[in-house]
Amino acid sequence: MKRKYLLNSYSLTIFLPVLLSVVVLNSAFALPKIEHAKALAKAKNFNVDLLVNGKVTDESGVALPGVTITVKGTTVATTTDPNGVYHIRVPNAQAVLVYTFVGYLSQEVNINGNIVLNVQLKADNKSLNEIIVIGYGSQKRAAVTGAVSSVSGKTLSSLPVGGVDQALQGRVAGLTVVNNGSPGNAPIIQIRGVSSVNSDSNPLYIIDGVPGGIGGIDPRDIQSVDVLKDASSAAIYGSRATNGVIIITTKKGSNNNNVALNVDSYVGFQELTKRYDLLNTQQYVKYERALDGNAFPTPIGVPPRLQDQNFNLPIYPGAKQTFAETNTDWQSAYFKKGVLQQHDVSLSGGGERSRFFTSAGYFDQDGITQGTYYNRKNFRMNSDHNVNKLITIGETFNVSSTRQRFTIDPGNRTGITNVVRMLPYIPVYNPNNPGGFMGPQNSFDGADPVNPVEFALINENRNYGFSIHGNAYLTAKFTPWLTFKSTYGIDYGTNRQEQYTPIFNDGGTGSSPIASITENTNSGTSTLYSQQLTFDKTFAGKHHVSAVAVYEVQTNRGDSQNSFGNQNNNTIRTLQNATNTTTNYTYSTNVLQSLVGRVGYDFEGKYLLSGSIRRDGLSVWAPGHKYQNFPAASIGWKVDQEDFMKDIKSISEFKLRAGYGVTGINGTVLGNYPYVSNVSAGGTTYPFNNLATGVNQGNGSFYNSLSNYSLHWEITKSTNIGFDLGLFQNAFTFSAEVYKRKTDNLILNVPLPPSFGFGSNPNSNVGSMQNIGIELTAGYHKASGDFKYDITGVFGLDRNKVLSLTGSANGSIVSGGDADFGGGGPLTNTVVGQPIQSFYGYVVQGIFQNAAEVSGHATQTGAAPGDLKFKDRDGNGVIDANDREFLGSYLPKFTYSLNYAATYKNFDLSLFFQGVYGNKIFNAEKIILQGMPRLFNASTDVLKAWTPGNTNTDIPRAVSGDPNGNVRPSSRWIESGSYFRLKNLQFGYSLPTTWLKAATNNNINKVRIYLSSTNLFTITKYTGLDPEIGSKNGTLTNGIDYGQYPTPRTFQVGLQATF
Amino acid sequence: MLSTGILLAITLIIFSCKKSALDTSDPNNLTTGNYYKTAAQLKQGVNAIYAILHQNNLVSREWYYLHDTRSDEVAAGGGQLEVPRGQLLNNTDDPTNSVMNSVWNGWYNVIFRANVVTDNAPKVTDNVADVKESVGEAKFLRGWAYFDLVSMWGGVPLVTSVPKSPSEFKPRASVDAVYAQIIQDLTDAAAVLPAKSATDKGRATAAAANAMLGRVLMQKGDFAGAKAAFLKIPTSGPDGYTLTPRYLDNFELATEFNPESIFEVVFVDKGDNGYNWGGESASEEQSTVRNQEYCPVAWRNLIPSNKYLNEFESTATGAAKTDPRFSYSVYQTGDTFNNGNDVLTDGAQNGNSSVVNGVTKKISWRKFMIIYQESASTAGFHPGGNNQRIIRYAEILLDLAECDNELGDISGAVALLNQVRDRADVAMPHYPTAQFPVASKSDVVKAIMHEKMVEMGDEEVRNIDILRWRKAGYFTTEPIANFKPGRDELLPIPQAELDNNPLVAGHQNPGY
Repeated sequence: MKRKYLLNSYSLTIFLPVLLSVVVLNSAFALPKIEHAKALAKAKNFNVDLLVNGKVTDESGVALPGVTITVKGTTVATTTDPNGVYHIRVPNAQAVLVYTFVGYLSQEVNINGNIVLNVQLKADNKSLNEIIVIGYGSQKRAAVTGAVSSVSGKTLSSLPVGGVDQALQGRVAGLTVVNNGSPGNAPIIQIRGVSSVNSDSNPLYIIDGVPGGIGGIDPRDIQSVDVLKDASSAAIYGSRATNGVIIITTKKGSNNNNVALNVDSYVGFQELTKRYDLLNTQQYVKYERALDGNAFPTPIGVPPRLQDQNFNLPIYPGAKQTFAETNTDWQSAYFKKGVLQQHDVSLSGGGERSRFFTSAGYFDQDGITQGTYYNRKNFRMNSDHNVNKLITIGETFNVSSTRQRFTIDPGNRTGITNVVRMLPYIPVYNPNNPGGFMGPQNSFDGADPVNPVEFALINENRNYGFSIHGNAYLTAKFTPWLTFKSTYGIDYGTNRQEQYTPIFNDGGTGSSPIASITENTNSGTSTLYSQQLTFDKTFAGKHHVSAVAVYEVQTNRGDSQNSFGNQNNNTIRTLQNATNTTTNYTYSTNVLQSLVGRVGYDFEGKYLLSGSIRRDGLSVWAPGHKYQNFPAASIGWKVDQEDFMKDIKSISEFKLRAGYGVTGINGTVLGNYPYVSNVSAGGTTYPFNNLATGVNQGNGSFYNSLSNYSLHWEITKSTNIGFDLGLFQNAFTFSAEVYKRKTDNLILNVPLPPSFGFGSNPNSNVGSMQNIGIELTAGYHKASGDFKYDITGVFGLDRNKVLSLTGSANGSIVSGGDADFGGGGPLTNTVVGQPIQSFYGYVVQGIFQNAAEVSGHATQTGAAPGDLKFKDRDGNGVIDANDREFLGSYLPKFTYSLNYAATYKNFDLSLFFQGVYGNKIFNAEKIILQGMPRLFNASTDVLKAWTPGNTNTDIPRAVSGDPNGNVRPSSRWIESGSYFRLKNLQFGYSLPTTWLKAATNNNINKVRIYLSSTNLFTITKYTGLDPEIGSKNGTLTNGIDYGQYPTPRTFQVGLQATF
Repeated sequence: MLSTGILLAITLIIFSCKKSALDTSDPNNLTTGNYYKTAAQLKQGVNAIYAILHQNNLVSREWYYLHDTRSDEVAAGGGQLEVPRGQLLNNTDDPTNSVMNSVWNGWYNVIFRANVVTDNAPKVTDNVADVKESVGEAKFLRGWAYFDLVSMWGGVPLVTSVPKSPSEFKPRASVDAVYAQIIQDLTDAAAVLPAKSATDKGRATAAAANAMLGRVLMQKGDFAGAKAAFLKIPTSGPDGYTLTPRYLDNFELATEFNPESIFEVVFVDKGDNGYNWGGESASEEQSTVRNQEYCPVAWRNLIPSNKYLNEFESTATGAAKTDPRFSYSVYQTGDTFNNGNDVLTDGAQNGNSSVVNGVTKKISWRKFMIIYQESASTAGFHPGGNNQRIIRYAEILLDLAECDNELGDISGAVALLNQVRDRADVAMPHYPTAQFPVASKSDVVKAIMHEKMVEMGDEEVRNIDILRWRKAGYFTTEPIANFKPGRDELLPIPQAELDNNPLVAGHQNPGY
């Protein structure tokens, strides 16, 4: 396992040359143009009166390169050089210079005959002029009437995570991000609650104007992320916008005649934060007797292995240690520390005509469990060019290559479940066995867990992903108020999945007499062709009218090629001359055609109106249901612009907003042909004449669902009301939103009675659901002096309720049942009046202490003293399925986060706290830990099980066979999921700029080093490994801990430098 | 503004031209609208019914668990028996029991696929003979499905055509109505199905349909009808059935489709330890885990009950001869396996011991296990390819004996019983014996009950026999431990059916 190097030699040898060649190429076309522009400027030969020069700095005196200086009322402009110095010719001594720079308040200075003007710019904390990217355009923050939240690229890149989605956790009110597995597995993202039962909750990602996946995007390439949360802003994306829209804008170069090289690098490690307390060998032996000796209906003998004559044998021939002397800590064997590292190099710059941003990045995350890792290499090139006054052309281009190793759980049993269950007296390894591992023999050991280390390492599952995301655009500015933009984008991704199992035999539960090779290649291509006309004009200085019209076509095609075969040796890992080979190839397509229109009007910047409509046509619906309109409207009132408010100096901003809109769920999540019942011709087989292959292969055809030719869009209607308040030059900022979202025509897999005989349930539009919520964002920004800091708090509350379910017979959809986790009964139920997928089961009322208590209670089949007493909810004297009730929801009552960022001179500190409150977790793993239905290793809690002599306990009696069903889904397994977590702590130091520049002869502008940790501590009552619980497979199983890969704690040290 | 107008016009033109681009269709699959049009396609539909039959929900796993745990032939092997199986064994099951739900779902899946064939057949005209045979197979399998359902659940929803909409709910039909359907299906099947030499090994034959029909009529109390059906099974010639001289031929790999075997569910081991937990593909795994579940040196989840083991005649308890079928049916400590190379020890068999004629020892099932030819380490996890014999000729002889006895022909019945005892490697003394006199109908009832248990043990017929014999009052003591009269005669209707079928909701079986 010498795969890891702190500085990966691969990234250095491959990426640096690539990067350098890009630098050369870009410079080759960018820099000469700068010279050209200067020459042009000279040729224009002004009537020059004065040459003004000076230096622009920030409040602390640090030079600001790239500041634009314009002579007011003219087009004469320049920018500051790397040392903040500028020169500009002005027509007369009374000219006014306007200094503008992103992130700073612009300043106007009358030169009053001075020829040297040194200017300090003040940082703009919450700029009203901040540009917000909205669908098909951008707006000043002041003019926004919807609920749009923005996150800067700097904030996003502060966490040591590989993906944009993970980086957004806790940054936006109303946006929840939940960890869902080992490295490389996407988290679950939700904006403003769950609005769909079956369909995925992923928001629509728009990357530089083109919809696409975010898997290949390096957070460090991002300029800003804008989250369109309410329907009035998101409805411009129509049929795909119900889950919200996340618009990602990647970095562009600057026109400052400069080239900056940035290096951003960190190295660290991650580890498990919490462990289970499991039985050791000695405790296990004791527990075995307590459980098997008390089996129902008759005691079970000691498993042969635990009998002295076997237990005192060496663990394998030649070993000195006996089973009795072995005490394997399976948690230490399965969990490990993982190295985490990321290295990015970027180069940006440009001249007056052209600018570019290019970067290369490497991210590598080793899992904290055996056999998991993820790494990504990415390369980006963005540039844009003003061809002339009319035409601008630009492109963005991103390539990424990912590699993931993952585990496929054996059956329903996750690796962590096997860690809990694995027998402590069995060693991890046995060099005598083919494959080198040792497993339990179910007959001999009386238990059949799987060696989790063996399973993770011997089965090799890898994903090799490659994606290209690129777009090119042309903008034609016909007049200052009329612009045409044409965009063509391609998003191509391919993944090759390789699964390999060698010939091995651990002498017990794990063996394979033949090697298996699976090679699956999937690729998807999405193209977008978008034409946009934008009108923007102010009439009579008061009436500002803007309008956008778009025609857009997006096509998708997915191809899938799967192959499988066996080899009778462990040397050949291809399908050359393999046996039992099978292969399959399929493709499918979809097309989305859209017409979009939006009109905005504002009067004196005070009264804002906006209306939009999108008409989408999507191929996946049945004929006659392919088109749908998605309208939206919003209004805003800038109260601060009213005369009566202008005198109130303390209020710097006050805006009221309201909006309404209609959105849909992306129909393609149902597949490309969801309404048709297909015949799987040759899709099954039966071995007549004892022949498994040949003539019988694929000799059966079947179908297993009903067609539904009336399937159509899920429609969400949303209302949003909010306000923004800024006090004391926006030192205090506050935003609040109230929303209501109602989804109609909810698409569900209507559960058919099993007597229909279909293997699957048809999709139908049945039911409706609503979310009501509040979002608050408050901040204080101290931006002057040596000690600057910024506090932002985010609060989100959402209440979900199912309003109707007309499709299922008794208005109930149950899910999550699993024989290992509670005997098979469902763990969640979705019914009208309750939040979606509420936990469902019996209510435990304590433990029967004696026979009289058993007979005095409602009839509970199998109950005896020491068993759990379940509540007779319906009071009919019998404990049965009708006594199950709702036990809580996985949805938090509210979520919150607090971000604190401070700088003192050259030091900086940031703290990011994040938490959820009021949710429940169904701790299904606790059933494995202390359920005791049959013999496996378990938590030490089982030693506290009820016995006649130990009655003061909440663990019921140990009885193999569990006649009372103590493991059944019940309130016993429901725990509070509230947590409060220090998500990130970062402490940095920047070398003094002036010293640095002097010491390096102006070659290095900035160096910052930092120490950082994520998940440093978590406060929670949850007893599992991690309270952040995702979903098993998206099917109404959120918040059930089946032994999920926990969020690790990380520590890292990083370096950022600008050359 | 002219340019704007042109652009908008172009946009609209593009939009209107491209409308057809939205009319996509699945390039990978045929649809219900264009399939099942030929006899060959219909036959593929029939094959798909068999495919369901040998999956995890039915004969490769849950089906034999359900039958076995509802009989008195098995006991828990040890702590590894999973909770839902233990519930069935101990009669503590409820409507959510996963094993029972699986079998219900599996049989209705069979019924749906059979209905696809019977619904589409009338429109297929390219090969009339072939279509007829396909319909016969579909009806045989549908009849079997409903027989299992009605025996274990009573009146069940009677679905005989493919539902066209999600609201085509069917209520529970009466037990008689279900039987009427079964008898019709099996009679139709028997009339059109070929003899075994004229079809693939593993397909339903006329003999299989008559055998199943006989079982059904017997269960209904129509012994004359049952006898007539059984007698249609040929006993000579290439299509005839006869007892094999070696009892173990009925449970081993090399002797699948032997002359005694009337219907088998086919399994094949592809040598990769693969098992199909429920998926379907053109190259799906074809193995059964029965070899795994009951294997003495593997999971050993169910073992023979003491009652079953003590049922065998033994010199230890005064019989003239110890019945050799005991050691053909079960493995006990000291037996050899792996082609005689290994000896089974107590230590190698996890879990519970049995008590036979007062002696405590470890005993496990032998029928259908394949350790007779493989080592313990191979058997650690090895889903096998041993075909499940569903109906064999010995059962027909025993059933005929019961028909004769019920119809008053005691001597005819005894002769049939003795025919079974005459198998070459069994050769048990003829009835009457000291322990089993056959002077009266009730004597013969006892002999039949004895003979069927020792001959057919763990072959998933005992639980059905118990239902019939309990009703006839043949048991002096209830055979099932923890049996609660008024409840445990029938299984509960599965929760998913109650939840999703408004016509069944509120019509649960008594006691649940």
